[in-house]
Amino acid sequence: MKLVIDGVEVYYNSIPALRGASFEAQGGEVVAVIGPNGAGKTTLLRAIASIVKPLRGAIYIDGRLVNSVPPKERGKLIALVEPSISRSIPSSVLEFLLTARYPYSKLYSFTPSKRDLEVIDIIAKKLNITHLLNRRLDELSSGEFQRVLIARALIQEPRVLLLDEPTAFLDIKYRLEVMELVRYVTKEQRIISITAIHDVYLASLYADKVVLLSNGVIVAAGKPEDVFREELIENVYGVKVQILNIGDRRIVIPIQLLNNGQPT
Amino acid sequence: MAISIYETKLRNFLIFFSLLTLLTVALFVVHISIGPAMIDPILVFQTLFGLSPNPQKVVVNVVSLRLTRALATVLTGAALALAGLLMQTITRNPLADPYIFGLSSTALTFVALGVIFAPSLMVYRHYIIAVAFLGALSGYILTALLSRLGGGSDISMVLAGIAVASLFSGLSHVLLYIVQSMLRSPYVYFLLGSTTTVLQREIPLMTELLAVSTFASLLLIKPLNAYLYGDSYAKQLGFEPKYIRYVGAFIASLLTAVIVSYVGIVGFVGLVAPHIARFLVGSNHLFSMPITILVGASIALAADIIVKLISMYVGAIAELPLGVVTSIIGAPFLAYLIIKRLRE
Repeated sequence: MKLVIDGVEVYYNSIPALRGASFEAQGGEVVAVIGPNGAGKTTLLRAIASIVKPLRGAIYIDGRLVNSVPPKERGKLIALVEPSISRSIPSSVLEFLLTARYPYSKLYSFTPSKRDLEVIDIIAKKLNITHLLNRRLDELSSGEFQRVLIARALIQEPRVLLLDEPTAFLDIKYRLEVMELVRYVTKEQRIISITAIHDVYLASLYADKVVLLSNGVIVAAGKPEDVFREELIENVYGVKVQILNIGDRRIVIPIQLLNNGQPT
Repeated sequence: MAISIYETKLRNFLIFFSLLTLLTVALFVVHISIGPAMIDPILVFQTLFGLSPNPQKVVVNVVSLRLTRALATVLTGAALALAGLLMQTITRNPLADPYIFGLSSTALTFVALGVIFAPSLMVYRHYIIAVAFLGALSGYILTALLSRLGGGSDISMVLAGIAVASLFSGLSHVLLYIVQSMLRSPYVYFLLGSTTTVLQREIPLMTELLAVSTFASLLLIKPLNAYLYGDSYAKQLGFEPKYIRYVGAFIASLLTAVIVSYVGIVGFVGLVAPHIARFLVGSNHLFSMPITILVGASIALAADIIVKLISMYVGAIAELPLGVVTSIIGAPFLAYLIIKRLRE
């Protein structure tokens, strides 16, 4: 299991969103993508998921060019959890989760298989959402909704799990819980998980590999100790940070804005 | 847990499907039995299904005369309901309906223009349907563009639709008034939403087009289910949202066009039926689509029964159009949905 991102460039209406992005990840690795707003985190994930087409560069999973994989096949390889989904037409949690099994169903079979429902049951139990299955999506709390979104991606049983801000709107307990879960699934199933995250502190708690983006360019990518360096983070974010060594982890704590706390 | 919930859903669907089928048949029989000469519904039922022990000639004749209108009403309700469901899904807007979004009015305007400028072509239903289809599609595109200018929210789409619908319904009435002088048929009868004008030989084509559209929609069930949750979500599961939108708009426009070119404008069935269906069986199109069709047929039949009763008791010359009654039922429902939406 290996993901290679090689010189990917993405433009939105001729404005560069991602330039020459390259990095690699192995099965079982928790990758965190960090960087300020508009740095290209979401674009990077969307490019890997083939939602946006890169102008240049290529993405390979185990040597297969992702863009040339048939769309349905791709659904078994990659799942992207976006911060939200459309909920304007009311539907239940189970109805939503069932759609995640479509890449595995035959073209003209309309009812879910026994295995589809079993997978849903197992994941639902793991994420503690079994009691929510019959509820409507628009009646869930943010924490419940976020767990349902992640459950969907896991039910899709992807080889590469992409998460875009999975911890936004969550309280501290659920933030840790979500990240623990991502790490657990990544290790257990030897998949690759790539999480775009604002919270540098949270990233430093869980990541095996960190990708630091700034203005569409990967400034640094590698082991946490190579990326979580004070001068690097301060340069990119304009925030003074302190790095604590707790256990074998380097934890990043934002302290104050640079230039003496005056907002720029 | 998931298994038992799904099984309950499936069972609910089967129950509601049978109940609604029974309701549709019952309304269909009652619809035929009502008229200047009242016929016992049981006799109607026996005659319709060939169960009558000793068929009376009078009953058979009356039933066969009234059958066309009843069938046309069923087809109208079913087609508009399906069009409404497709539109609500492809716009992800629970307020969508072929009438509210202006498809019906633009289709009717195009038909009227066709009759005025190429009367010899409009003799053929195929051409009328084709012209109405182009009209409906233009109406949809116009509403979509207008709402995008207005920010693209749910409500802006409804407002854009109402603007388009009002403009073209006014326009179509003026044009139909002109048409009337050419065709020498009473103005109120011509395509203003009455199923009385449909002829027996027109039923087969209506049925075929509806059947094809329904079949095409059934093939779309999974893409539509995935599409509900967003464009990039559908894309991840291997469905191209753009094509779902195109195909959905195509089928919805075709269905609207068929009804407009045979019956005229009947509003709100497409709004109400999908809501009732989702309330009963949820949003999975596998369940909601057949239920929507049955609910639509029932609503249209019930509304047309009211039309028949009103005209019998008032005794005016022509009958009310079906569209008038569905508007009276549907518009308050729209108001309720808008209020609910704005409060959120």
